[in-house]
Amino acid sequence: MSVSTAPPVIDKPGRNAKPGRPVPDSATYRRRKLRSPYLLLIPAVGILLVGLGYPVIWQIITSMQEYGLQQQFGKPAPFVLFDNYIELATKGSLWVVVGKSILFCLVTAIATLAVGLGLALLMNAIAKGPRLVLQVALLLAWSMPVVAAMTVWIWLFDRRRGAINYLLDAIPGVETNRFNWLESPLTFFIVASIIVIWMSVPFVAFSAYAGLTQVSEEVMEAAQLDGAGAWQRFWGIILPMIRPVIAIVFLLQIIWDLRVFTQITMLQDAGSKSSEFDLLGTYIYKLGTKSQDFGMASAVSILVLAITIALSWFYIRSLLKEDEK
Amino acid sequence: MKRKIAAIATATAAALIFAGCASTPAAPVDEGGKDISLWLNGGDTPDALRDFLKTEYAEATGGTLTIEEQAWGDALAKLTTALPDAENTPDVVEIGNTWSPTFTNAGAFTDISDLYSEFGGDKLLPSFVEVGEVDGAQFALPYYFGSRYAFYRKDIWKDAGLEVPTTLAEFNTAAAELKTDKQSGFYIGGEDWRNGVSWIFANGGDLATKDGDTWKSTLADPKTIEGLTQLQTLFTDASLAPVTEADSTPWVNINDNESTGKPEAATIIAPGWAHWSIGDLAPDPADETKQIATWNDDVFGTFVLPGADGSPAPVFAGGSNIAISAASKNQASSKELMKIIFSPEYQKLLGENGLGPANLDYASSLGDDQFATALIESASNSKLTPAAPGWAAVEGSGLLEEFFGKVNGGGDIPTLAAEYDTKIDELING
Repeated sequence: MSVSTAPPVIDKPGRNAKPGRPVPDSATYRRRKLRSPYLLLIPAVGILLVGLGYPVIWQIITSMQEYGLQQQFGKPAPFVLFDNYIELATKGSLWVVVGKSILFCLVTAIATLAVGLGLALLMNAIAKGPRLVLQVALLLAWSMPVVAAMTVWIWLFDRRRGAINYLLDAIPGVETNRFNWLESPLTFFIVASIIVIWMSVPFVAFSAYAGLTQVSEEVMEAAQLDGAGAWQRFWGIILPMIRPVIAIVFLLQIIWDLRVFTQITMLQDAGSKSSEFDLLGTYIYKLGTKSQDFGMASAVSILVLAITIALSWFYIRSLLKEDEK
Repeated sequence: MKRKIAAIATATAAALIFAGCASTPAAPVDEGGKDISLWLNGGDTPDALRDFLKTEYAEATGGTLTIEEQAWGDALAKLTTALPDAENTPDVVEIGNTWSPTFTNAGAFTDISDLYSEFGGDKLLPSFVEVGEVDGAQFALPYYFGSRYAFYRKDIWKDAGLEVPTTLAEFNTAAAELKTDKQSGFYIGGEDWRNGVSWIFANGGDLATKDGDTWKSTLADPKTIEGLTQLQTLFTDASLAPVTEADSTPWVNINDNESTGKPEAATIIAPGWAHWSIGDLAPDPADETKQIATWNDDVFGTFVLPGADGSPAPVFAGGSNIAISAASKNQASSKELMKIIFSPEYQKLLGENGLGPANLDYASSLGDDQFATALIESASNSKLTPAAPGWAAVEGSGLLEEFFGKVNGGGDIPTLAAEYDTKIDELING
């Protein structure tokens, strides 16, 4: 396709031409110009479709088949269409796990957001030296490999020799000698939540801090002079200004916390592998790789995809609306 | 333009779908390569034996043998994904005896019936041969057998005036007597089914039986329930272990605890190889961060768990089988390695290192110290898990850990048994 090499001819509107209506030559030029960027995008989009689309399509197909260990070794997989989904819908244990996962995800994401935002405000308020120390500490926490961090956390919460039990026991009135944090589901998930919050806060803190630097000093000063208290300044000025950052960061936290796997599985290895301690990530892993029922595991994965889209739908819509503005 | 992108996207998706549907596994092609890989599980096979295999293999074929160790916890997942893939499969693989029926029935291994008599025929441990057999053809042969027996603190038992028990009932009573606020009489985790199942077997029960052509979970069987009731009482009366603990590191509970100077328990039950980690602890002269345990016969002792009538209790037989992957491209070289594994030299090496050799002719190489005697005695009556096609899935699902945990947590046994029978029945037939 040739693009005309002649410079665009935009005639000055004559006496009869209506103002604003494009002259034919420039219109053709504009249409031709619009096509080539799309063509250049096709290879990139193609690679993305293959890379991201293949696993999703494979899962959709497998979720409609009966795919077990025999199929791994060559036996053909019979198509059962939606039988797997119907079986799942009637499986009480799955909905318990879904409920726990959504609760865990919301509690952890909201706590992460609160702590992260608090740290960002702190970073904004302190002098350069302490701020640098705080930022380095957060970076170290964030960059620590998950498995290494989990090993240390499990040692901290160990019932016989953990530091947490020792420190809490030192508080008069609190009896945590040999307390087994991983024994009951409630304390198990509290520990998991603390660890996930610790791992996620740096990201939120840095993103929020970046957003806070955009809040202009003059507006804050003017508000203060007008008599607005600290909370009113936060709620009325700062939050609305950094709303896009908070929205994206919260959306990401929800998606990540719904899919959390590594932390839960390592805690289960240290504690109990019983299904009371399962969230969606470990539930799918147990069903698929451990019990070798890949068809059912794929169906649950598609369900998790649907739940993720449902939870984030509101945010995505508001983000798209913002874009259109 | 948007329509064009949509059309391209649909075409790509369709192409991927058809490509996915059309995949068929390639038939095993022996490319005659000499470099093979062997997967071993956990640290059970010591370095001396691994080096022997590598040297002998190089001498026999001129090729290189690479040994990869898989942790027991990950092994099931790795085997499921690697064995069918001709590019990534290990050539020879150690397969836990409880997983053997599942993978053999799925067609993961090569038929080696022609080598069966050459490797020892009926001298090979029969129960292990059975779990690697389908319709009379052998696919996975025994590699080594282990067993479980009890380790006890002689000093604590003597102080309490107790003798080594001769029946299971005596054991249960003694263990309850030995329990104090800070020390378990007998340490067993609530979810530890591999040790707990000994009480089921000792009372004549079983985890599952074959009814015609299908396997059925028999947790609700009266004899099984009797064994479980005994176990529940034992757990409450004798053990201070958490109800959520399984059987990972029993020996830490019988060695002296560093901070209190006393052990966590007076008695434990553990696989035979645990004796290397039991004894007086001292820092390793070679590596400060590690400790070495030296067996002290005045303080520690062993006995075989007695059954209801005095003969050894049927404990869970540990051990592995060994097989050639059906998707391996080096079938001939893999068979060479198998010949080395079943050679008299290697079988004797297994025995000398405390692992029961597959070929019972060489069982004497285990020696005659208390550990070897205990191993052979407890293995004589040992039982395997059901040889059902779906047993690996049952183990992987964690249902048995859950069930035992709830039983030991004080739940109503018949109700729980019926509930878990239904859950296990869904998986057990593969």
